[in-house]
Amino acid sequence: MAGRIQLFATCLGDLFFPEAVADAERLLRTAGYEVDFPRKQVCCGQPAFNAGHLRAARRVARTFARAFTTELPVVVPSGSCATMVAHYLPELLEDARYEAYELSSFLESAGVELARVNEGRAIAYHDSCHMLRELGIAEPPRRLLERTGARVVPLPRPDLCCGFGGTFSVRQPEVSLAMADDKLAGVRLAKAQVLVTADPGCLMHLRGRAERTDGPPVVHLATALAGGLP
Amino acid sequence: MSELDQPRSRFREAARAKLADAHTLGALDTATARLYGARAAAWGDLPEIEKLRERAQAIRSGTMRELDRHLDDFTQALEARGGHVHRCASAEEAREAIARVCRDAGARLAVKSKSMASEEIGLNEALEAAGVKTVETDLGEYILQLAGEHPVHIIAPAIEKTSQDVADLFERVEGRPVEARPEALTRSARRQLREAFLRADVGITGVNFGVAETGSICLVTNEGNARLTSSLPRVHIALMGMERVVPTLADLAVLLKLLARSGTGQKLTVYTTLISGPRREQEVDGPEELHVVLLDNGRSKLLGGRYQEMLNCIRCGACLNVCPVYRKSGGGAYGPVYSGPMGAVLVPLLVGLEKAPALPHASSLCGACTAACPVKIPLHELLLELRRDLAEQGVATRRERLAFALWSFAWSRVWSYRLSTWLARLGRPLAGRLGPGRAWASGRALPQLSSRRYRDAR
Repeated sequence: MAGRIQLFATCLGDLFFPEAVADAERLLRTAGYEVDFPRKQVCCGQPAFNAGHLRAARRVARTFARAFTTELPVVVPSGSCATMVAHYLPELLEDARYEAYELSSFLESAGVELARVNEGRAIAYHDSCHMLRELGIAEPPRRLLERTGARVVPLPRPDLCCGFGGTFSVRQPEVSLAMADDKLAGVRLAKAQVLVTADPGCLMHLRGRAERTDGPPVVHLATALAGGLP
Repeated sequence: MSELDQPRSRFREAARAKLADAHTLGALDTATARLYGARAAAWGDLPEIEKLRERAQAIRSGTMRELDRHLDDFTQALEARGGHVHRCASAEEAREAIARVCRDAGARLAVKSKSMASEEIGLNEALEAAGVKTVETDLGEYILQLAGEHPVHIIAPAIEKTSQDVADLFERVEGRPVEARPEALTRSARRQLREAFLRADVGITGVNFGVAETGSICLVTNEGNARLTSSLPRVHIALMGMERVVPTLADLAVLLKLLARSGTGQKLTVYTTLISGPRREQEVDGPEELHVVLLDNGRSKLLGGRYQEMLNCIRCGACLNVCPVYRKSGGGAYGPVYSGPMGAVLVPLLVGLEKAPALPHASSLCGACTAACPVKIPLHELLLELRRDLAEQGVATRRERLAFALWSFAWSRVWSYRLSTWLARLGRPLAGRLGPGRAWASGRALPQLSSRRYRDAR
């Protein structure tokens, strides 16, 4: 056993993308980790935090502090929630000093062995903004995808946000959708068969848009790595 | 009501209109992509870019800590060289000071080079009312003056216009066909503006930087129009935001190294002009009088506070060019003056949150602006801070505050979280018809609430 970690499903993962969380858990076990799933977990408070509602954010973030121990690393299949836990939680709650890792960077440094489940596939990877700019994680997810046999094709302007942005997506739905359309058009231009992202927020937004516009399949990174691509 | 105010719903309405205008959106996409690429290349050519940014940040923050002293130094040095300095607390005072100088000079016609501060105080309208006709001489500003529009970008004010749009405008002025080629358009503008330069009594410019040790003002342009504006007319009035002071010429050099590179990707702009006082006795040209109008208009209240770093902005426009929200919504959505991320931060700070409540939320907080800022202003963090103020000060709508409060109580315990998601499943048929769900579902499929939460399936 490589050690024990705690898995944070995130609220979106728990409610909307349980298959992606299951894939994340499977990958962590493959990498030799014992996975704890704290039953009291709910959400890190990010939706309210990013909207400026600190008191609401703190109230919800306390569920995280009650569920997780600072003694063991926390692995998160979400770039933005990992950012929230690693960077912003200490601002919000006293003693909330967690060792939090985004899934792909954790798996890579754990030296996970991946099956070549994506041989011959052309995959586009979407950088989620928090993961790219706050955590500085750009290459690990791409390298992991390549190790499953996929060809990772570059998107035009990978630096551009997909337009989710939490409440931004419903405050400015028109702009938000136009940003998603650019991202999905980029997938077509790049001739990728599928768009992969490591953030459930971007996933919910881009998949929702793709479903309405006959766009490409949009899949969580954990699912892509675990061989669950359509 | 100030030039900067904007009601809550304006951003969304303006953005929606822009999104429906494929022609303009195309022009904006092309232009911002070009500027983005140019900056990236120019930064890439400087191996020491990060050090340079840190130095620039240190210079700006250091200046703000002692802004009053630097402004006093600047004033003394400039007055010693025969210039006049007018300190103005508000837009109104600045408008009056400029109108007074024009009146004393018996001015009927003023030429202007580009100045966002003049847009901020609504100068052109005020001068027209005082009987002074103004002619914009920056090509972009001139185009907008003909079109009767406001700038939509702080360094490329007419960025949303194509050459054909400009040709159509110039044809109306010239009364004959004008070719839609940049050279032909520039020649046409030159013809139209030359007369104004020669006849103007007063020249009005902005100020990129004011140097405290020498009392010099620095103007940065690509068209040379600021040189003509500041040297041909009898009187030169320079409108300067009070935060544009730099202590020394050496500091200026650091900032100039970053300004053009970050804005247009140039190493330096075509003209970098340093003006130290009006014409002296033995000199053959230059204005008889030089007046520098130092504008506060809400800036000094940021000193020493959580938002002081916003005063470090050098107005390069890099944050606009990288902003994915700006390139979809257009500059006009942010209001008639400052736009993009810098505008979304600065405008509410200058006029008060309640007068621009939508701007802190006109961002996905992607952080591209912060990464592109040459003086390292944490723009997206400041937007987040402003959102907190919106919530704290009760400027956020009652509905929004109530929604977050209810949500946070529901999700503060596992049992109530379960209950809330169970209720959400029951209410799913309605989810796409109400409030945020409706905005979501306007163009996106609602996510499937999984029949079993992960915690239960596990």
